[in-house]
Amino acid sequence: MINLLSYTCIGIGIFFWFWGTLPLLGKKSVLFKLHSLSVADTLGSMAIVFGLLLKIPREWPLLVLTIITLALWNTMLGYVLAYCSSSGGENERA
Amino acid sequence: MGTIGNLILRLTIWFLLTSDLSVANIIIGVAIAVLLPRSYTSHESVKAWCRAFQKILLAIPQAYLEAFELIIRPHNAEDVVLEKIQYPRSPGLIFLEIFLITFTPKTIVVKSRADGYYEIHRVLRRAKNS
Repeated sequence: MINLLSYTCIGIGIFFWFWGTLPLLGKKSVLFKLHSLSVADTLGSMAIVFGLLLKIPREWPLLVLTIITLALWNTMLGYVLAYCSSSGGENERA
Repeated sequence: MGTIGNLILRLTIWFLLTSDLSVANIIIGVAIAVLLPRSYTSHESVKAWCRAFQKILLAIPQAYLEAFELIIRPHNAEDVVLEKIQYPRSPGLIFLEIFLITFTPKTIVVKSRADGYYEIHRVLRRAKNS
């Protein structure tokens, strides 16, 4: 049961990764890409690590720390990138 | 953050990192938490912090919900809205608010302006005026 749940989480995470990363090659604006990246990076990676947490609960302190830092750093970098892109103008469709 | 809150945060990270509850490690952790410099001293009420942490817990399922919405239905429109900063004097709570808004996939804070507003970029399913 726990195995199934953990593989589901990991699977969802990998799906999020691809769903959010592939649009990077498209022609949408930087901010649009950032929205899908926050799905991929933050939520996808968190789902994967949570799946791992279910599989190897004895490593919980490190995995919980990973989840916290993933959420914090990805979100912060997303904000920084959004902030930098806001005055770009011409570069926005890079 | 209040001194106590600061200590709790540092100790939590220390114990998660070392995953060791021996007496020596507790002493080292407390020493480090006390000795590390504090960047600012502001005094928010405990209530404001509790509300913020409650919001974080609620934000996680909401973020996943929004992610699935984005995946199932394409959102092709975008706009920028302004939202008032709730606690303009507290760097810690501003950080948490920006974190919460940016954490959910449909909204990103682009800028927190000096006049007390966040500029938030949103994606929508379709443009509002069509």
